[in-house]
Amino acid sequence: MGTMTASSLSREASNYDEASMQQSLLFSDSLKDLKNLRTQLYSAAEYFELSYTNDDQKQIVVETLKDYAIKALVNTVDHLGSVTYKVNDLLDEKVDEVSGTEFRVSCIGQRLRTCQEYIDHEGISQQSLVIDTPKYHKRYILPVGETMHGAVRTKSKYQGCSLDDEDEWYQFRNAVRATITETPTSSARETPTSSVRETPMSAVNSVRRGRSPSPSGRPPPQRSATFSFTSTMPKKESEKRTVSPHRFPLLRSGSVSSRPTTPKTSRPTTPKTSRPTTPSSAPAKKRYPSEPRKSASMRLQAEKENNKDAEQYPSKSKRLLKALLSRRKSKKDDMLYTYLDEY
Amino acid sequence: MARAGGITNAVNVGIAVQADWENREFISHISLNVRRLFDFLTQFEATTKSKLSSLNQKLDTLERRLELLEIQVSTASANPSLFTTS
Repeated sequence: MGTMTASSLSREASNYDEASMQQSLLFSDSLKDLKNLRTQLYSAAEYFELSYTNDDQKQIVVETLKDYAIKALVNTVDHLGSVTYKVNDLLDEKVDEVSGTEFRVSCIGQRLRTCQEYIDHEGISQQSLVIDTPKYHKRYILPVGETMHGAVRTKSKYQGCSLDDEDEWYQFRNAVRATITETPTSSARETPTSSVRETPMSAVNSVRRGRSPSPSGRPPPQRSATFSFTSTMPKKESEKRTVSPHRFPLLRSGSVSSRPTTPKTSRPTTPKTSRPTTPSSAPAKKRYPSEPRKSASMRLQAEKENNKDAEQYPSKSKRLLKALLSRRKSKKDDMLYTYLDEY
Repeated sequence: MARAGGITNAVNVGIAVQADWENREFISHISLNVRRLFDFLTQFEATTKSKLSSLNQKLDTLERRLELLEIQVSTASANPSLFTTS
């Protein structure tokens, strides 16, 4: 089969060569005829001129000259037509060849671009293998609830993570630990005059700061938790609040996040729900949308710390309870304030 | 006799004039066809020149592109280790 196709191809090639040779021979013959036609016309003109002057039968010479001129013109037109057709065909063929060559060159260019892209890709892969990607723990990179699928995504997460985030996390963790460890000592160290005489707005700010467990929340949330409650209350509200039987929730209301999140905190005995702490709680909640999840742990931690305080200072808590009970009986804040002054 | 000779002369003159006009018509036809042939050759020359110029331009462009491709191939094949890695 291979020899048959090769022979057929060779025959086709030989036929093509023979046809092209025949065409080129015909073209050259027609060009030679055109060149010879000029001399023939000149010689014919001289002959007819001589015959017209010498011969007596001039009419016959004229008629013969007319016939010859017509035939010569037609022959010239034929020759020129064939030559121009062949030249035009040759030009079209060359243009087609050039178009085919352009196509081949564009194909070669495309292949070369592909090779270049491959080379670039290989180079990038080689260089990327050289670079050491920093490795962090997952909790420092991924948000909560998101899972990782594939190494590429892991790589992109690693690239997206920066040292600032890690620093912030580290600072936040240290701040939380510091507040947790400082809570008993700072509460004990807190002077009564400063806590009692604190203005409501500053108390609100302290409460807000304590309730917002943001990473940058440096002031400890527990520090103002025990004192801010008493200080935030105006006298009228405290009087009204002494009527309510929920006294321990009052103390617990000093915790981090129990008051503002639930609408139940507006107790039935206190008709004024717009306490100075409540309006500030809404923007704080908006400012930290992930607060409830984090404040839960903070609240638990604060309760634990409060329990520790209660264990460590039972006498003080008893005195505080006594003061509150006496306050309920007498409906006056003098004892509480005296106790707080002593405290 | 004189009248008959004048008539024949007039007829001869008329025949000669007619023949002359026929010859002039023939020459005008030939010259018109030659001019048409000349116009055709002039037009053919113009079209052929334009085709040849466009062909020359294409060939120049192809030559430059081939030179560029040769350079790119030489630069790409300068580091054959990239192609040997599997």
